[in-house]
Amino acid sequence: MIEPFLEVRNARKNFGPTTVLDGVTLGVTRGEFVSLLGPSGCGKTTLLRIIAGLTGADVGDVRLDEQDITTLPPHKRDVGVVFQNYALFPHLSVMENIAFGLKGRVAKDEATRIAARFLDLVHMRDFAERSVRALSGGQQQRVAVARALAVAPKLLLLDEPFSALDRKLRETMQIELKRLLRELGTTAIFVTHDQDEALVMSDRIAVMNQGRIEQLDTPQTLYHAPATSFALQFVGLSTRISGQVIGHQDGNLILIETRHGVVCAPGNFARGSQVIIGIRPERISFGMLDGQNSIAPQLTDIVFQGARVQVHFASAEDEPIILESSARLPTNLASGEAVSISWAPEDTLVFPRDVSA
Amino acid sequence: MKSDRSLVGWLAAPAVFYLTIVYALPLTWLLARSMMGPEGFSLVLFEEFLGDPFSWRVIGNTLRIAGMVTILCLLIGYPVAFALARARGVVQVVLLAAIILPLSIGVVVKAFAWQIVLRRDGVVSQFLVGIGVWSEPQRLLFTEIGLVVGAANVFLPFMILPIYSVVKLIDPRLMEAGATLGVSPVSRFFRILFPLTLPGIVSGLAFVFSLAVSMFVIPSLLIGDRFQTLATLTGRSFLLMRNEALGSVTATVLLVLAVAIVLISSLLARRVGRFA
Ligand SMILES: Nc1ncnc2c1ncn2[C@@H]1O[C@H](COP(=O)(O)OP(=O)(O)O)[C@@H](O)[C@H]1O
Ligand SMILES: [Mg+2]
Repeated sequence: MIEPFLEVRNARKNFGPTTVLDGVTLGVTRGEFVSLLGPSGCGKTTLLRIIAGLTGADVGDVRLDEQDITTLPPHKRDVGVVFQNYALFPHLSVMENIAFGLKGRVAKDEATRIAARFLDLVHMRDFAERSVRALSGGQQQRVAVARALAVAPKLLLLDEPFSALDRKLRETMQIELKRLLRELGTTAIFVTHDQDEALVMSDRIAVMNQGRIEQLDTPQTLYHAPATSFALQFVGLSTRISGQVIGHQDGNLILIETRHGVVCAPGNFARGSQVIIGIRPERISFGMLDGQNSIAPQLTDIVFQGARVQVHFASAEDEPIILESSARLPTNLASGEAVSISWAPEDTLVFPRDVSA
Repeated sequence: MKSDRSLVGWLAAPAVFYLTIVYALPLTWLLARSMMGPEGFSLVLFEEFLGDPFSWRVIGNTLRIAGMVTILCLLIGYPVAFALARARGVVQVVLLAAIILPLSIGVVVKAFAWQIVLRRDGVVSQFLVGIGVWSEPQRLLFTEIGLVVGAANVFLPFMILPIYSVVKLIDPRLMEAGATLGVSPVSRFFRILFPLTLPGIVSGLAFVFSLAVSMFVIPSLLIGDRFQTLATLTGRSFLLMRNEALGSVTATVLLVLAVAIVLISSLLARRVGRFA
């Protein structure tokens, strides 16, 4: 088996009594764009800092390009970082910021040439002599990316680089960054807590929760076959209903009793297991069909979203049952009434439920 | 809102009035006195003063001592300012107290304390003999080294505090960013921290130098009469020799030096803070 370009093995980190990283293992292939996706405080920044060498792990090692870099100081690692607050050098101009890491590595005119090229790549040519303090958030972000890329790092780490930008600018920057990294063939790890951003940009996504990676997969697999109920909940919308396995059917199907009725799903659970079932909203449709799971919950809201419409139903759980459709809705839907909806057994995701929690 | 602005101007009125009475008027008198010859305006007093080699020795003493005190303060104060800015919790409180509290002790008291330390049988002498640096006890009191060390102790807070206030504002991630760009720790210091602390260094230098160039009590107690600076000479002229002419000239020369320092350092500060 070939070794991944970057490999983090069993990284653990405690800050005092709190465990921030609880055994993280991560492999990234050369040229890949991997996102670390997870809620605030789950250890994303800490993992990035360990890879960059800015924080030491208590346990575990880091390998990059067939070399053990676990104990190497950050300036010898060849790992670039775009910090969350950009951390531009306030006493230097835009151009001097971008050329900062080149000084002493290459000849002076070569440094100027490279810096000018990256200035162009991030569309900041007209700002070369400006103070970085006079730049907007989006411009600072571009300079930070250019500065990190100008030294041609083996690996680029980006810590929520777009979190301070408004939505429209963020979408533009996502596309620009993705294109730039592809052109340069740079391997990148991108931290975000925004699932849409991760889905749009990544070759693979690592879903992090409480200091662990719960799943590392392509966006498609992550969406259609989440490995844990956390991954289901964190990526995309879903309806979750708890239940108990009451029997088996042929073709590897199990029968689950829920408060909305008995539901059929693929899965391998013993009779009596406590489970959570999950359904994506676009997999649910109106009406009752043979061979499908059907329930008749009470309609509560119809949310018009332009191209699509979301219909919410009262659930026995904390969160509503959500149906999403881009087709024309049945006429005479009224809130407060019970409406029949259905979905296919194979679209039913089943996860074990931690009963003690 | 014009009226508001003129009101704001009046807020400074008490200070202007006070400074005029106690500062500007006597100063004007002093300047006028130094330029007064037998028949009205004349620079003859300055010609006399600057024509005397003794005066140049006094000016040299003044600048040399002030320069050495300033550099010593910078060397000691710079790392302390960083320690203070990066320390957390109790450590920071203790450090800050250790730097600020001595300001409340009078200069005279401190100078007497240094007299004890620098005596032939003082702590320093005993220590240096003890570790074998000196073969026999020596007196540091009434030497230039003793004066510089004692004065640096008194003025150290004025170096630490302006540098500290600048360091405190420096984002620690800047150094990390430098590291991830492949820059070594030493280069990071000279290319990131040092330029960002320069405004603090310049004001610290200006504070300490202008205090040291005009100190009077400390040299009187730590080095004595045989060693004269512009400030001690001014004091002696007025208090002992009753020589108003000489005193006003030395005071004016000192004033010119001090103003020059303030101007140069503010120009420097503006230049180093190119983007500040
Ligand atoms: N230097 C530190 N000292 C103490 N606790 C820290 C430190 N850095 C991070 N933490 C804690 O570790 C947890 C994870 O932090 P972080 O890696 O920044 O999460 P994320 O980037 O996913 O939001 C948080 O609870 C945070 O408070
Ligand atoms: Mg973070």
